[in-house]
Amino acid sequence: MTATQAPPRTAAPAEHGSFAATLRAEWTKFRTVRGWVIGLTVAALVTVLVGLLSGAGSMSSCNGHPCHFLHPVGPGGEAVTDTFYFVHRPLASHGSITARVTSLTGELPTATGSGRVRAGQGPQSGMHPGLEPWSKGGLIIKANTTQGSAYAAVLVTGDHGARMQYDYTQDIAGPPGRPAPASPRWLRLTRAGDTITGYASADGTHWTQVGIATLPGLPATVQAGMFATSPPYSVTTAQGLLGMSGTGGPTLASAALDHVSLHGTVPGAWTGTQLGAGRSDASPAMPGRYHQAGGTFTVTGSGDIAPDAPGGGGPGQTLDHTLVGALAGLIAVVVVAAMFITAEYRHGLIRTTCAASPRRGQVLAAKAIVIAAVSFAAGLAAAAVAIPLGSHVLRANGNYLYPVSLLTEVRLVAGTAAMLAVAAVLALALGAMLRRSAIAVTLVIAAIILPYLVAVTNVLPPGAGNWLMRLVPAAGFAIQQTIPNYPQVSNACAVAQGCYPLAPWAGFAVLCAWAAAALCGALLLLRRRDA
Amino acid sequence: MSAALHAEWTKLRTYPGTAWLLLAVVAVTVAVSAAAAASARCPAAGCGQDPSKISFTGVDLGQAAVAIVAVLAVSAEYSTGMIRTTLAAMPGRIKLLAAKAAVVSVLILAAGALAAAGSLLTGWLILPGHGFTRAHGFAPLTLADGPVLRATAGSVLYLALIGLLSLGAAAAVRDSAVAIGLVLGVLYLLPIVAAVVSNATVRRHLLQAAPMTAGLDIQATTGLRSLPLSPWQGLAVLAAWAAGALLAGGLLLRLRDA
Amino acid sequence: MEATIDVQGVYKSFGPTLALDGMTFTVAPGQVTGFIGPNGAGKTTTMRVILGLDAPDEGAALVGGRSYTSLHRPLTHLGSLLDAAALQPSRTGRNHLLWLAHSQGLDAARVDAVLGQAGLDKAARRRAGGYSLGMRQRLGIAAALLGDPPVLMMDEPFNGMDPEGIVWMRGFLRSLAAAGRAVLVSSHLMSELEDTADHLVIAGRGKVLADTSVAGLLAAASGDRALLRTIDPDRAATVLEHAGASVAVAGAGLLTVTGLDTGQISALLAGQAVPFSELSAHRATLEEAYLGLTHDAVEYRAAEGVRP
Repeated sequence: MTATQAPPRTAAPAEHGSFAATLRAEWTKFRTVRGWVIGLTVAALVTVLVGLLSGAGSMSSCNGHPCHFLHPVGPGGEAVTDTFYFVHRPLASHGSITARVTSLTGELPTATGSGRVRAGQGPQSGMHPGLEPWSKGGLIIKANTTQGSAYAAVLVTGDHGARMQYDYTQDIAGPPGRPAPASPRWLRLTRAGDTITGYASADGTHWTQVGIATLPGLPATVQAGMFATSPPYSVTTAQGLLGMSGTGGPTLASAALDHVSLHGTVPGAWTGTQLGAGRSDASPAMPGRYHQAGGTFTVTGSGDIAPDAPGGGGPGQTLDHTLVGALAGLIAVVVVAAMFITAEYRHGLIRTTCAASPRRGQVLAAKAIVIAAVSFAAGLAAAAVAIPLGSHVLRANGNYLYPVSLLTEVRLVAGTAAMLAVAAVLALALGAMLRRSAIAVTLVIAAIILPYLVAVTNVLPPGAGNWLMRLVPAAGFAIQQTIPNYPQVSNACAVAQGCYPLAPWAGFAVLCAWAAAALCGALLLLRRRDA
Repeated sequence: MSAALHAEWTKLRTYPGTAWLLLAVVAVTVAVSAAAAASARCPAAGCGQDPSKISFTGVDLGQAAVAIVAVLAVSAEYSTGMIRTTLAAMPGRIKLLAAKAAVVSVLILAAGALAAAGSLLTGWLILPGHGFTRAHGFAPLTLADGPVLRATAGSVLYLALIGLLSLGAAAAVRDSAVAIGLVLGVLYLLPIVAAVVSNATVRRHLLQAAPMTAGLDIQATTGLRSLPLSPWQGLAVLAAWAAGALLAGGLLLRLRDA
Repeated sequence: MEATIDVQGVYKSFGPTLALDGMTFTVAPGQVTGFIGPNGAGKTTTMRVILGLDAPDEGAALVGGRSYTSLHRPLTHLGSLLDAAALQPSRTGRNHLLWLAHSQGLDAARVDAVLGQAGLDKAARRRAGGYSLGMRQRLGIAAALLGDPPVLMMDEPFNGMDPEGIVWMRGFLRSLAAAGRAVLVSSHLMSELEDTADHLVIAGRGKVLADTSVAGLLAAASGDRALLRTIDPDRAATVLEHAGASVAVAGAGLLTVTGLDTGQISALLAGQAVPFSELSAHRATLEEAYLGLTHDAVEYRAAEGVRP
């Protein structure tokens, strides 16, 4: 029998390549465990499936019939509400319009009726005097009388003073105060081609510029005039799992304007036009009217000129609803990540690992990189499939999805994938600290999924709920917000409708901060502890 | 059977983690209930809130600790390899699962009772100061009140059923992380999906079928007519889930190699 | 109850791997039966089938004529040690035995008795996670003895024991067998079993290769060989070959003689005045005998040297 010989010693690898070697070792460790690879595949599949199922269950109907609403789109591509009463005449490419607003009053519904604020309906019962905070009345220059066309307006509001607003999303504050007969508000809009400037004054002689708007592609002849509008009133009295219920209805605002003067007009007469407020208008509004007595115009209108935002019982859905399955995918990813680290402690594999790579910080970093990368890949694939498929299912079921720009959609896909990756790292770090996978998984789920559940089912009042969603790792969901929170729109948009208290990247940063803190803690413990 | 019960009881009481986890059940439940009560407000009569449900909010998180206790009672055997010793000593696998279920349930009922009592106490102390008074139409939160007694006892039963659900899941999948992910996923995700779907009928059906929302109906004392299920019906749905999990777990335990 | 283990024609596959291929043998009382075989021969799988942990595809394994899972208080019929490390680290050794005792309706007094037998009195109230390998083995043996069973089954009990522990274990197992128990001990190291076992079941590739007493195996393997040490090997070889024996050189001044017993050899050499300093009958070691038998049945063999 030939004697066996030990193989000769090979030279030790270079020190600077050791992290790359550790990283490669951790990647090999991960991809060779069939269960973990399957777990990530399950995460991706379940993300798509749950999103599709929730879309399939979202058959939208209006009293049993499919809903047909008009959803005008503004110049920037966003969904808008463009409903108001317009008293207008044509204006040339250079000109101006000036008026003095002597009062802004309104009416609110007296209804105590229950049930949702439904679009396309009139008020439930009588009205009483009262002004919505964001009621608007003033001067407007608009490309034409089509809903969604470009405009610039200088106006007075119920509680927010004089303002200049243009192209639905832009809002600039002007001098405060509600106009009254004793203290009227003078307003002026001057047009020079595509540029419109808004001015306000208290006495008609000393003007302060409120803002400048550039509306590219404005036609030579536009419509200029007076308008009034008032957003619907809604108070949610109970928010539960069965949806919001509250009272509300359309409101009215009346603006009284006199000393109306125009320069640069094209021949024509004052015309009164109602934009929106029909049965197929998505926002509850009543038809308006105007009355001219001598030089005084009284314009009454209902509705809003603002971006269409989710909430308030409106019929639209935000695109992130297609990604509700990402929560399930997140749980699967977190389970795999916890197992990836705690498997080292089971069966004593940690001794082999530490012998092969004595720098424990490097091992932890390598593991974090591997699990983040594979989770990101799984999330990316899942989101890229779930969004188009889910949107198709939602639309086929009669839902309206608020349009989003390509950049926003990219943020939605990448952000969701990034959330999964960071949650995986958080779970890995907790698993390294606690060495028990079940507790690590539970803590991550309690920190990310449970606050989301609490916010969506209104277990806590909105103030406390928002506070929670700013602090816990669940704040990361803010990256999925597709429609920004516009301050000039009053709507009850909560987490369930896709609105979060923090800005997208701010919320994501909170999640990252938690993961970073956990990693630091894990590193400290790993270095100090015996293997 | 009594020998199996004795053995499982000895196992649980000599495992130091058991005491800590049960303490966590009580502490977490009471703390979250206190936080919910502290943030609740009822400015006027007809504010449509349910003080009992607010008081017992802590169960939403306490159930996670209960799930861990139950999952570890089974999964720790597999992770240490002790399952072979256990099955050599007690080859009757269904009897083994039943003994584990019985012992774990008794412990969870005890911890749950403490947690529920503590939650009720925090509600009774804090809520009247936040507008939940007789003037606004709310009776004080005492066990003398029938619905409140039902909510309290029901919360304890709810926790025990969650424990049984988790035990069955752990017996089926064996790994503790996977079992806990599965249980918490089913509990927390179904209500989220229900809140997101826009069709009211589908939502109602989901709320009736989901174990967490159905089971927590037992905590409601107001607005009972608008609930998707009556309190006891809801708890029965959760009991069905628990039974199904135990069945699946028992079958897999019986048929698989150890 | 009769103290026996009966394995009858057991077949077991795990997926594509055939682990047991008609394993059949009996463990009789009053002796220590060694269950030896190369790694992967199916020893642990057979023991798991006996305990009802794995279900066989065909065949049966009976303890005292009954299947293990049908026994009431099974640890009082068959005590086993499969994996000494299967302990909850945070539980003490005594508490581990305590729940086992409770599962058989036994009490703490019995626990303390077996702890004394296994020599773990002092360490019993410490966390099992801190036990050394040898202490874990002793705890496992204590667990096997808890029910005072007539049949004992141990999978590689010598693993990790120090020389003192091995000596203790050897004597302990023999005393258990001498008291009339059936003892099945598996191992893949021959030197441990050589002085412990009376009977051997040699397994390879899921089957039984030999089911014989130790003495019989050694006799068969030893053959008619003798070792001769002499300063004149050529002359000794000539003389012996002339008498009909076959002689081989085993080293400097060392000859292996086959075909004659030692008496005949010494007579022949003395007759021819051939000096020799040592003549001994070759006694095969268990290792030699075993390697000869299992050479073809080895599942995992390392490469013979590495080419530079």
